[in-house]
Amino acid sequence: MLNAPMKPADDRKKPFFVGLRMTKEERSILDKIQEKVGLTKTESLLKGLEILSEYYSLGLDQPPLSFELKKLEEEAIQHADALKRIRRREDALKEIIHELRIIDQIVDKYNDKNALIQILIDIQNKFNWISKTAVIWISERLEIPTSSIYQIATFYKFFTLTPRGRHLVRVCLGTACHVRGGPKVMETVERTLGVEQGDVTSDGKFSLERVNCLGCCALGPVIVVDNDYYGNFKTADVGKVLSKYS
Amino acid sequence: MVEKLKSASELTNLRERIIANRDPSKSVVSICIGTGCTALGAKKVVEVLGEEIKSKNLEERVKVKQTGCLGFCEVGPRVIVYPEEISYFKVKPEDVPEIVSQTIMKKDVVKRLLYVDHGTGETATTLEDVPFYKHQQRILLEKNAKIDPKDIEDYITLGGYDALPKALFQMTPQQVVELVKKSNLRGRGGGGFPTGRKWETTRNAPGEPKYVIANCDEGDPGAFMDRSIVEGNPHSIIEGLIIGAYAIGAHEGFIYVREEYPLAVENVNIALGQAQEHGLLGENILGSGFNFTIRVHRGAGAFVSGESSALISAIEGTVGEPKPKYVHAAIKGLWGKPTCLNNVKTWAYVPLIILNGVDWFRSIGTKNSSGTAIFSLVGKVNNTGLVEVPMGITLRNLIYKIGGGIKDGKKFKAVQTGGPSGGFIPEQYLDTPVDFDELTKVGSMMGSGGMIVMDEDTCIVDVTRYYANFLSDESCGKCVPCREGLKQIVGILNRICAGSGREEDLKTLDDLSELLRDASLCALGSTAANPLTTSSLYFKDEYEEHIRNKRCPSKVCRDLIAYYIKPESCQACLICLRNCPVKAIAGEKSIVHVIDQEKCIKCGMCIEVCPFDAIEKLSPAVPPTASYGIKVTPKKRR
Repeated sequence: MLNAPMKPADDRKKPFFVGLRMTKEERSILDKIQEKVGLTKTESLLKGLEILSEYYSLGLDQPPLSFELKKLEEEAIQHADALKRIRRREDALKEIIHELRIIDQIVDKYNDKNALIQILIDIQNKFNWISKTAVIWISERLEIPTSSIYQIATFYKFFTLTPRGRHLVRVCLGTACHVRGGPKVMETVERTLGVEQGDVTSDGKFSLERVNCLGCCALGPVIVVDNDYYGNFKTADVGKVLSKYS
Repeated sequence: MVEKLKSASELTNLRERIIANRDPSKSVVSICIGTGCTALGAKKVVEVLGEEIKSKNLEERVKVKQTGCLGFCEVGPRVIVYPEEISYFKVKPEDVPEIVSQTIMKKDVVKRLLYVDHGTGETATTLEDVPFYKHQQRILLEKNAKIDPKDIEDYITLGGYDALPKALFQMTPQQVVELVKKSNLRGRGGGGFPTGRKWETTRNAPGEPKYVIANCDEGDPGAFMDRSIVEGNPHSIIEGLIIGAYAIGAHEGFIYVREEYPLAVENVNIALGQAQEHGLLGENILGSGFNFTIRVHRGAGAFVSGESSALISAIEGTVGEPKPKYVHAAIKGLWGKPTCLNNVKTWAYVPLIILNGVDWFRSIGTKNSSGTAIFSLVGKVNNTGLVEVPMGITLRNLIYKIGGGIKDGKKFKAVQTGGPSGGFIPEQYLDTPVDFDELTKVGSMMGSGGMIVMDEDTCIVDVTRYYANFLSDESCGKCVPCREGLKQIVGILNRICAGSGREEDLKTLDDLSELLRDASLCALGSTAANPLTTSSLYFKDEYEEHIRNKRCPSKVCRDLIAYYIKPESCQACLICLRNCPVKAIAGEKSIVHVIDQEKCIKCGMCIEVCPFDAIEKLSPAVPPTASYGIKVTPKKRR
């Protein structure tokens, strides 16, 4: 190793950071349900509501003990909402944790501050973009300020900070492709997709990017959709080629 | 599990064993799966070939080998059948059964798949007969055709890793440096700095550890020779790096490859793994006591990162911006330690020089530039691809003998060498010999070896604008002359191309070029004006036409041209009308079509689809007034 290897992540006490924050009130509701009362209170409330609904179904207007049950009903609705929100949050958390695990694996592979570019390339290849979560997590793991990560991610052309479309269309505008009509191809693709280079179509299907040379100059002009190369490309074929992708 | 080689004799034994195990009469079908041929469908050919061989039960007699780039990408996918060396071009999957039944089983040649010369109509059976190869001298690229880059044994059988023990056991590091110095090898990245001197400086510089780096950050648009070597023959670079590291006293090396070249990254990683397994890398190489490891660093796409100090920053994990070079990387480079950075081609020459000797290398090329040069000959020539020629060959021979002349019989206008940092060379300098010094004399440079040929249909002003735009985009923004100067140049060139150029613009451009040349921090800025300087020197009339007459002689600049349907040629076939994306063409059956100039966006689609060549481009953009309703003059459809 060139530099002293960093301590493994487990050794360091770090706050459980997940990118989401709860209000105090929400937190206390969560605590109440999870720690003090558990789910039993919710269950009992739900039971009460069941009785209530049965009571309603009998067609009776004035339920007995109406005041207490009314209170219970209100509380139950509140708790159900809170539960729903917690569930949603749980799903979101799970997703983020899944993403962080993958990033962790990538970071562990190098575990070296100097390998930041390599780590970002791997993340870009894996997720097709570099999310805010990824930037924050790398920053935490490698102890690099997020600003430095953004500096790298914006300097190099390879990285994107917005999600890419399902298919990546790259039009080569290297010199050889330029003299053979690359710019016309680019214009036609832009017109067909209705976006400019660097953008994603509104349905999220295609990302359009320019590339400065793919190294197959003998075939110019060239466009690449995902990993399919189309050489000696004719502008008239744009529609035909793009319609192959769904 | 492969056994680690512990001495030079074990390597020789291994080579002999591999050769003995290979049956020389066995047919080998090698298919190029470089990026170019893959784009043309080579993978499918490989697949069909495998099935065909299986179905005919020929597995014992035929070996299919997937090789790297052979250079002549335009006529891919390429298939060569050994030992006869029959070379087939433009092979499609449906041709495979014929190749198997005729060539492999009966040893007959499938005539229709051979190369046919554009001019003479002659066919060529082997590579040497093809004019594109006949005039080349391929010393770096020749092995690409015979090597499966994913198999170290192929490289070893062809004498690979033979130079390594010679350097390690028969020479001292000092002697290796002296040998490279004497060979007159100059850096192939474009600068042409004497490699031996760079090695010596690094060797003598104080500070440990020392590093060696192979630069394959080929960001130069229009060049792909580095890619094809890393893809096709990665071991030659590795061997060169090990020898260089031994000479310099480095124990760690890097290969910097662009992530845009996924196949190159893959192949070099496989090659490193195999070299390690065989004990050619790592601890105690071949029992010599010398330790050396190599890591791959992938570049994330920034043209400026090819510059040495920027590349070093990129390996350090920071933004790849150039630094002032008061002190050279050879003395203070990677992490402030002495670092020797060379292009991959330079490293790949080293084993050849060690094996064949200084005299052999100096016998190729000119007095001051020894060896061969590799160009990617692209643009408007008949034969496009990678060419390796001895230094000193004239541009005319390169373009006309190897390149087969200009496409479609058009007229030659200029050749641009050295990528965005090079210059345009007009016809009167076509007899200039190609080497480091001569190209600089005419205002261009060797550069990394891109050679883009332009014909009469290429607008020089437009291409100059393209380069300025590219460089302005790629400029890191650290120094003012480059950041702001290029922006102004782009602005002025845009203006000229749009037809609102001013008389004083040429003078302003000259001033800006001078500023860029003198005041920029790194080579990106100081050479950025080369295309501009040479184009305004050799093609001043084109600039003046744009500025004074609002006319683009090559009919490229959009604001200065108009599309016009010739009434006498139009057959009213409705094809252009249907294809026009903005519905700017009016017409009906048997009525000559007319373009509405107001609506026309000048996309050129109509010219492309017209089967009668009835549409022409006019410049300046004042088409004759067309009246609607003219009857068609019937003509026989072609």
